[in-house]
Amino acid sequence: MENSYLEHTRLGEFLETLRLFGELHGPTVSSAGVAGFSALDDIGRIELDYGRTLIPPKKYLLHFREEILRFREGSYLPGGSAERSIVLFGVHPCDLDGIAYLDRVFLTEPPDPAYASRRAKLILVGISCQPDDFCFCREPQHSATCDLFLDGWQDGYKLNALTAQGEALTEAARKLLAQAPPSPAAPTGDRGILPQDPQLRFSDNPLWDRFAKLCLACGACSVCCPTCYCFDVREYPGLTGLGVRLREWDNCLFKTHGEVAGANFRASRLERLRYRFLHKYCGFTPLEGVVSCVGCGRCKAACPVDIDLRELFDPGGQNSGTVS
Amino acid sequence: MTATSVTSHLPFRATLLNRRQLSADTSLFRVAPDPQALSALSRFIPGQFLQISVPGGGEVPISPADLPAEDGTLELCVRRVGHVTKLLHEAIPGQALGLRGPLGTGFPVAKMMGSPVLLLAGGLGIAPLRSLLFHLLRHRDRYGELTLMYGAREPSLMLFRDELVALAATSDLRLYLTVDFAPEEAPGDYACAIGLLPDLLKGFRFDAGASYAAVCGPPALYRCLTGELTQAGVPADRILLSLERRMRCGIGRCCHCAIGQKLCCIDGPVFRLSDLEDIPEAL
Repeated sequence: MENSYLEHTRLGEFLETLRLFGELHGPTVSSAGVAGFSALDDIGRIELDYGRTLIPPKKYLLHFREEILRFREGSYLPGGSAERSIVLFGVHPCDLDGIAYLDRVFLTEPPDPAYASRRAKLILVGISCQPDDFCFCREPQHSATCDLFLDGWQDGYKLNALTAQGEALTEAARKLLAQAPPSPAAPTGDRGILPQDPQLRFSDNPLWDRFAKLCLACGACSVCCPTCYCFDVREYPGLTGLGVRLREWDNCLFKTHGEVAGANFRASRLERLRYRFLHKYCGFTPLEGVVSCVGCGRCKAACPVDIDLRELFDPGGQNSGTVS
Repeated sequence: MTATSVTSHLPFRATLLNRRQLSADTSLFRVAPDPQALSALSRFIPGQFLQISVPGGGEVPISPADLPAEDGTLELCVRRVGHVTKLLHEAIPGQALGLRGPLGTGFPVAKMMGSPVLLLAGGLGIAPLRSLLFHLLRHRDRYGELTLMYGAREPSLMLFRDELVALAATSDLRLYLTVDFAPEEAPGDYACAIGLLPDLLKGFRFDAGASYAAVCGPPALYRCLTGELTQAGVPADRILLSLERRMRCGIGRCCHCAIGQKLCCIDGPVFRLSDLEDIPEAL
């Protein structure tokens, strides 16, 4: 359905329609003032002007801690449980980019069973946003990698269905939609990050030492990053010969991350910051050369000591060059 | 979901058959994998690794110390250093284990054909190289001159010594054993040199330009040996190093084992020295 337009006044009804497709989740703000995605049992809880959530939507695909295997009667069996369909509403383009990156990591051969089953049942409805001082995203208005994108325009949203699922959502809400007014202007500036030279991590830039001295190794930048996915695996025995294997978010800023029996390959904070730099801005195989920073600004907003690794390749303090 | 993705994530069952103590903290475990795993294991290339699970304890990456036997059983040489390896050492024959793999890259045994091969093992590094040695001996006519240099800290820590000496006596293999230290009270008790592996290599005459060198040992050993090998004239793309990192998932996802931008679990654990030259933290 081309040129569909949803007026603000009908948003509530539109969200109720989305419930037909799965459990409805969207941006909310807690009583403590923290923005986060959560279940919208009550549509009134939605907070569309949410800036950025503290924890990115990766939590829907990679649970903070989850059972991946269980041990029963001499054998390991797949863990986890059946997934339910979730409609995640109001995701900003940077976070959609983050999910697209995670798809590249977890859906390539061999696909991750837990991720793949959740991803297949996650319906993404994106929404355009206004960048703030922390943002350095690729293209704030773009509408990639979701089922349906809502582009804010005048007193409502232009709807853009990008998948068959998105078209089904639009179709279900047809009676709420109007003809879109004339097209919005072209997307605004593109401030994304180009792939960086891996050798920069050994540059003599004094910022490296400054950052290493400042860094608290709190790991906030990684927890809140929409594309940080590294995980640790733990196994626990039961009392009667049973056992479970869990995986949980790990953090490359933690000292234990580079430990092997009897040694640690990244014992210093400098080494761990370099590791993070390499992964974010240069990419590990098989995504070597792919920047995984989507410019959401969370790490910059969350760092208690104002470390911004981008300064290492941006000596002028400006955002990095335009992506051609 | 494809069959590959199931076996990549789900350990197949294996049974511990027996344990042979090799030194105070190191044992050789023979395990029998479930018959359904045999086709996967038949593709094993020396240098690849398996993720060994001890139920209730967890998983550790181990490179097999031999080639899968006809009945599919294989040997794992494991030192007791952490939680899982301690539980493995306490396991009794018949206990259920789990195995995933083989994972990672092995030694380029096809490319090495026709060339002399020099194996350099330090300490527990003999385990993956024993597997390579068995492969080379099994196909002895396909390879050139074969030499194994093995260094251990002291005589009691030299693994497989009798076996290696017997192999050298019965097959076309040059064997050099050395220990860093030897207790004075037992002079002449062991037929091996006293000194460090790099020193042994210094005096060694071989066709360096045509040879492959396969190295496995503690990190410090790599730094010394790669210098010696390069100086002797072995090309950097023929110096093969088996590296150790904290491989949790083994399939390139958990991101603990990165070496520069490479992941030890899928790009390695066997690397060519030429692939590591721009990565100062690799060795």
